[in-house]
Amino acid sequence: MHGWRGRILHVDVGAGTQRIEFLPREVLFAYLGGRGLGVRLLREDFARDPFDPLMPVVFAAGPLCGTSAPASARFSVVSRSPLTGTVCDSSAGGRFAHSLKAAGFDALRITGRSARPVALAVTPGGAEILPADSLWGKTTGESARALAGRGSVAAIGPAGENGVLFANIVTGEGNAAGRGGLGAVLGAKKIKAVAVNGDIPVTIAKPARFEKAQADVMRLLRASPVIFGEFGIAEFGTAAFSDLLRLRRMTPAENFRRTVFEASRNWSGPAIRRRFRPGKDGCFDCPIRCKRTDRSGSRLPEYGTLSHLGALNGISDVEAVVRAGILCTELGMDTISAGATLAAWGEARERFVRAQDLENLLRDVAWRRAEGGLLALGSRRLAEAIENPRISMAVKGLELPAYDPRGAYGLALALCTSNRGGCHLRAYTIGMELLRRPVAIDRFSFDGKARIVKICEDASAAADSLPACRFAFLGASLEEYAELFAAATGEEADAGRLQEIGERIVLTERFYNAACGFARKDDALPARFFEEPGTEGGGIEIPPLDRQRFEEELDRYYRIRGLTAEGTFSDPEFLSKQP
Amino acid sequence: MRKTLDICAARLAACRSAPAGRFAIVAQDDAIVSAGDREWAQLGGEILSRLPALALVVAGPRPPFAELLLRRTPPERLRIVPRDTETRTFLHDIPILREKEAGGNAAERIAALLRARKGVVVEGIGIVATGPLSIEQAFVNYSCVFHATFVKYLLDILSEGFPLPGERKVFEDCWDEWLQPVSAEGLFLRPGPLEAPADVADEMAAVGRYTVELGLVDSFFGNVSYCAGGTIYISQTAASLDDLAGRIDAVPLDGSSTAGITASSELPAHRRIYETTGARAILHGHPKLAVVMSMLCEEKDCATKDCWKECQRARLVGDTPVVAGEPGAGGLADTLPSAIAQAGRALVFGHGVFTASRTSLAEAFRAMVEVENACRNEYAKKVASGTLHKS
Repeated sequence: MHGWRGRILHVDVGAGTQRIEFLPREVLFAYLGGRGLGVRLLREDFARDPFDPLMPVVFAAGPLCGTSAPASARFSVVSRSPLTGTVCDSSAGGRFAHSLKAAGFDALRITGRSARPVALAVTPGGAEILPADSLWGKTTGESARALAGRGSVAAIGPAGENGVLFANIVTGEGNAAGRGGLGAVLGAKKIKAVAVNGDIPVTIAKPARFEKAQADVMRLLRASPVIFGEFGIAEFGTAAFSDLLRLRRMTPAENFRRTVFEASRNWSGPAIRRRFRPGKDGCFDCPIRCKRTDRSGSRLPEYGTLSHLGALNGISDVEAVVRAGILCTELGMDTISAGATLAAWGEARERFVRAQDLENLLRDVAWRRAEGGLLALGSRRLAEAIENPRISMAVKGLELPAYDPRGAYGLALALCTSNRGGCHLRAYTIGMELLRRPVAIDRFSFDGKARIVKICEDASAAADSLPACRFAFLGASLEEYAELFAAATGEEADAGRLQEIGERIVLTERFYNAACGFARKDDALPARFFEEPGTEGGGIEIPPLDRQRFEEELDRYYRIRGLTAEGTFSDPEFLSKQP
Repeated sequence: MRKTLDICAARLAACRSAPAGRFAIVAQDDAIVSAGDREWAQLGGEILSRLPALALVVAGPRPPFAELLLRRTPPERLRIVPRDTETRTFLHDIPILREKEAGGNAAERIAALLRARKGVVVEGIGIVATGPLSIEQAFVNYSCVFHATFVKYLLDILSEGFPLPGERKVFEDCWDEWLQPVSAEGLFLRPGPLEAPADVADEMAAVGRYTVELGLVDSFFGNVSYCAGGTIYISQTAASLDDLAGRIDAVPLDGSSTAGITASSELPAHRRIYETTGARAILHGHPKLAVVMSMLCEEKDCATKDCWKECQRARLVGDTPVVAGEPGAGGLADTLPSAIAQAGRALVFGHGVFTASRTSLAEAFRAMVEVENACRNEYAKKVASGTLHKS
């Protein structure tokens, strides 16, 4: 088989058993891999409690993993989120995806609960369940280093062990499979880490065609100012977004009460470069290299981390913010949810956390000590516990990212329709509304946004399943990646076909959610965005969102998706009709 | 969506490529809406409803070079591969659909082709192009196909003559109607230098608009910049050159801000020109005859495989140097500055024209007009001489 492996490794860490399942080509073609395959593999279990031992955690690579397709070294972890209750996929870059394929598997599906801490070491011969008592309590970096001899590692930190509902799974390079708390699901199974290793190369069905498609993608990446431009992410990392968000008055500050934070200049791309003199780094074999590491080798935080640990909490001290971001990675904790939960707490107390207290408080969250015990539950449960529901800036319980939705109406809609909760990456409309890629659209209009969000959600689901990094689509498109896919696998598919596969994945996720009780009431932004303006200035007004127009566009989105007015399915047999 | 549809329809009409009664722009939200001719809109709607796209342009363009290309293409070939940079970078190739292949279900066949490519040339119809995410994108892709087929046709004439019956007459009529010399006479252009940011923005918007109006670039292509007070003012990426108000980025020369992340992809080339030549104004367009002449290389037995990127031979069209180099980070910033330093103007292989001035955008604009007219004269001489180029 070209591109794919056609094999899944099932491991039950409770029973200590394993088996290999051979996947029909039709199923692979219908879901591709990565997010899509992981979602498909939850079909029998999606309604289980996230901490039920029988709830699977799936690590899935895609058909382009292990090839030289640009920006394809990514894998998805898929399960049900303990933070939101929705189906959840978390994507991360790094060598792990290549190593999983090199071990001879498209996916690893883990169930059960071990009595003692364990690590899994996967090779072409199967999985070895290793005792990991000595690693329990260690950071993600320490765990990865301890298991480095076993291959590429993805590990949880203390946050995952202690059931922090926004705990991440972090690769040995420091890339996080974040949002949604799947680290806690792994922790509940007493799995400290997964290591994968192998030497089986992925074969390409049509090498010459693949090479041409690769060249086409690279040409588009080079032509994109957002990627390889002199101020692009290849040059400055995602900190490059900081100045733009400030100028567009879309930097969420003080728990989204304001949309400009002048001190965000402290973590602009040039400011980070001056202060930390970082080296370029990236996911395995990625030409973009948008990551940055400091001189000690620590991965510097991304834009979203800098902004939420900084601006959202009113902190301007960049050293403190960077240290806190690095600490979150080591503790295995999502920086967006951590920053937003602290900010909600700060608003409730009318006193945001001080820069000098930030690290200790984050440690308390990871270890669930003192006030950290409540903060570890995320902003929604925090708000409910202190009976102040307005302070949680989340959708479906997932804390919102560092882009204020009052400044981009497609984003506002997409945050709500996202199947995993308030995430900007599901449709990534900010590419168009802010970065002018692949095309510029009016950020202050709802017109056409329902259709745009639908198309972008489908395309993103396909991209997550090939896989290809979201940033590659700031230059290339599914048109070029369809060529790479066809050349790699030998299965003819055009961009339209990939869109349809993406649609199937999105609808499957939505069906799972609907079956678990999610509906229109959950596709809702916090009231603040409809009632309070953002921070005007520089000739730009940031008015509150027009609720009536928002609801009209949401209605339209449901109609375009073929859903009921409640955002649910009129056909209860939808799932059984899917491959 | 209605407002955007009408704006794009007006733009199509203004650029003269889609005559009244022979085009429609169609968009779908939860229902299909359209602007333009009703019959064409109906076909567009039938195609669009089969696609995961937001918008579509269907037009029978004038001049009919796209369809002439289709008719010149051997029957076994299913696509056209123009050599211009826009095709190479964005379109890759252009599928063609002949009437007999369309059978009784043209909409279905066209939609099938558009699932894989941004635009298609259809016999008896013209050009159909999609906008996966916006109405403007459909217009951009239509313009891209129109430009690519236009340029390829003019090039192919030089190498292959007029094989179709009556084709020479069609070409000569089009030449008289569409390819007359352009002129900057009567346009209001400010002398430089300019200092106030508002004046710079106004002049950039005016020059951008004139560049589109004279057909020296299609609306969403090209770029313009001006350097004053330690800042490069440059049109944003994907901005309409004829609608630049609010779409100009101010980029500090000292690199203190990354706000220029949304600036034109050609910012690196603009910056290098400013840093090395003393210029204050730069204009970049895609005048069609200049693009044609940029690709008319008569080198024999050349070892260069990738002319767009690798060619290092010094070549002139008239007194304008031709350079290689791909957009963005593709090398143009390395090749362009030295060429433009000498002549204040340069052709980029398969791509277009850059002009620079030490004083004003007006001077850069007039230089572009001169380059296109010079290229027109060179091209006309080659057609008239009957000495056809063999590439």
